[in-house]
Amino acid sequence: MFKLKATAVAVTACCTLPLGASAQDSAALDEIRREIQQLKQTYENRIQALEKRLQDAEAAAAQTPAATETAKTAPQAAAAPAVAAPAAKQVTDNAFNPAMSLILQGVYGDLKQSPDEYAVTGFADPGAINPGTRGFSLGESELNLSANIDQLFYGNLLIAFEEGSAEVEEAFFQTLALGYGLTVKGGRFFSGIGYQNAVHPHAWDFFDAALVQRSFLGNNYGDDGVQATWIAPLPIYVELGAEVGAGRSLPGTFEEDTELAEVERNKNGPGAYALFGRLGGDIGASNSYRVGVSYLDTSTDDGQFALADFDTRTGVENAYNGDARLYGVDAVWKWAPNGNPAQRNFKLVAEWMQLEREGDLTFDVTGLAQTDAFKLRQSGWYVQGVYQFIPAWRMGLRYDQLDQGSSSLGANANNIPDVDYDPRRWSAMVDWTPSEFSRWRLQYSNDESREDVTDHQVFLQYIFSLGVHGAHKF
Amino acid sequence: MKLLCIFAFGLLAALPGAAVQAALNVFACEPEWAALVKELGGDKVSVFQAINAQQDVHRIEARPSLIARVRGADMLVCTGADLEIGWLPLLLRSAGNRKIQPGQPGHFMAADFALKIEVPERLDRAEGDVHPYGNPHIHLDPHNVARVAKALGERLAQVDAGNAGHYQARTGAFLERWEQAIPRWEAQAAALKGMRVVSHHRDYNYLFGWLGMQGALSLEPKPGVQPSAAYLGQLLTKLAAEPADAITRSVYNDPKPAQWLSERAKLPVAVLPYTVGGTPEANDLFGLFDDSIKRLLTVRTPA
Repeated sequence: MFKLKATAVAVTACCTLPLGASAQDSAALDEIRREIQQLKQTYENRIQALEKRLQDAEAAAAQTPAATETAKTAPQAAAAPAVAAPAAKQVTDNAFNPAMSLILQGVYGDLKQSPDEYAVTGFADPGAINPGTRGFSLGESELNLSANIDQLFYGNLLIAFEEGSAEVEEAFFQTLALGYGLTVKGGRFFSGIGYQNAVHPHAWDFFDAALVQRSFLGNNYGDDGVQATWIAPLPIYVELGAEVGAGRSLPGTFEEDTELAEVERNKNGPGAYALFGRLGGDIGASNSYRVGVSYLDTSTDDGQFALADFDTRTGVENAYNGDARLYGVDAVWKWAPNGNPAQRNFKLVAEWMQLEREGDLTFDVTGLAQTDAFKLRQSGWYVQGVYQFIPAWRMGLRYDQLDQGSSSLGANANNIPDVDYDPRRWSAMVDWTPSEFSRWRLQYSNDESREDVTDHQVFLQYIFSLGVHGAHKF
Repeated sequence: MKLLCIFAFGLLAALPGAAVQAALNVFACEPEWAALVKELGGDKVSVFQAINAQQDVHRIEARPSLIARVRGADMLVCTGADLEIGWLPLLLRSAGNRKIQPGQPGHFMAADFALKIEVPERLDRAEGDVHPYGNPHIHLDPHNVARVAKALGERLAQVDAGNAGHYQARTGAFLERWEQAIPRWEAQAAALKGMRVVSHHRDYNYLFGWLGMQGALSLEPKPGVQPSAAYLGQLLTKLAAEPADAITRSVYNDPKPAQWLSERAKLPVAVLPYTVGGTPEANDLFGLFDDSIKRLLTVRTPA
């Protein structure tokens, strides 16, 4: 190995030296060339010897095909390494292909109320985020490719295929070798804020995301930017993270037929930043936990956006221009007897978020067009528990609620009627996971997102994972 | 922006703390490798064992506490061969520790140095949770333990060069004791030769292969797939045609399938430690083999 390195150094030297070399260096160059020639000769001899040995070995192996059989049953047999090892180490053109996994999802939905009329009273117009489709429908299919790029970086691409579109959900690189507990991620990725936000739909414990996650962050809030995380050098888990991004989309503000409103920014510098901190550890062998706090800050830039369900409430078009700040607290607790989740385990997740919007609101853009200072503070939370009671079978309960909070509308106070209703929902699910690669789920939701309307929703869902065995986050 | 500055400042302030370390911090995934590191490292190493003997190594979560421990490790000693595929890659990527990344001397995978059996000729998930690089439960063949010990001793000497002599001496001493123990175990286990056992998972095939036993049937229809009542019924029929001598399971396996079959097929059940700490007697690697053989002998009906 050392000699190979010496050759590499010598070759590099040959290539770079002439740039600044004068005549007096030519003697030294000749010396290096001689050395390389010698090295080459040595290696050629060795390679010839190795090839000879390989041919002999192959000939010997061909004569005794029974050796393969022995190797499978008798680990101590001397023939075992020669037979078993090459099979695993075989190098072919696709040996360095990224690890690939494919997620297939589909659902059968039965909803009492029409999904077309779905709304969350007092909160953002859900637009494309509806509660689900009636009858059979295909869920989001995901293609995930990932690999270590080299000794310094890891790369990951996740494409989500939905009706008529393919969206790059995540495409990022991540550092491996910074050390000191530091990791930097860049590209497009789901933000590290909260607990549920970075979890892909196929790994959710329920068919749909909590109302607060859906209304404030559009299921998964992602951005184009850079994230840095740091793990403290402590025996317990302390992680601090910061993100700066383009502010590609605006939490809690929706455009018609889209999820989160896309912000068109034409300026240098970041459009959004986020901070998060987490603490976690074990209590005995059976319990582990993680708690976290998050903060996200972004603005509409100079654009104007439709806000909450003000348009439906007032019957005219309104526009909002200002900042959006999100504060969150999350907690996860997992239990498994002796830390062995195979038979029974329990997972409890709770999250609370508050979204603050501060800026200007223009009432009736096309008519009165009255603009005044505006402040709205809304919040929401959920708590969900999932219990695996026997191998492969889990059942779960979730309650989620949104709180209207407080608003200050200034001169527009008389134009926009107040809402005094807290949308809420509870859901129960049971799922069957015959292997780590397939899951079937039946869920019922009692959805009171709309004031005075109760929706009974039943979903039967499948989630299949093909390809590599993906590791899931805590 | 102010918050960012505070964050950056806090980060700088905490860095020097990471540099001070007394002993070599080793993160061992499984108890058997933690035990081996202790044998070879003695007081020069501080070992954190990620999982205990009551846990199923296939089903471990990438818990926050494990990320914290990987972050502080100078060296990682695990089985490899995809045994930890469901959790270790995530720990490695999350911890921000370059010393233990693949390709670094601090990244030691025992299976790279062992002889593996059951390398599948056909990779298909319909076969269950198959391991493409062969059966990863390599430590139950004592010859594999010797191979790994030799490589691990060399690696410890490389990672902690200042104490190279210490590791070499301890590795030499361990291997000497180990090589003496192997013939002793083989002599003790002579009566087990030819014994037919039904095992819960394929995790004892190295042990069975070494001792000349036959791990003919498995309680799991496919690796990692939990036995169903229907499958156990088929097993019972098979056993009527080709009787076995005993049933084995690990301490972490669900006791019910083995018990069910035991009652109907009138076979004794041996609960085996699987790894160091699995039973009170299996308190180190020597104890693991002593106790495994002892427990198998108790269910061996005289021929």
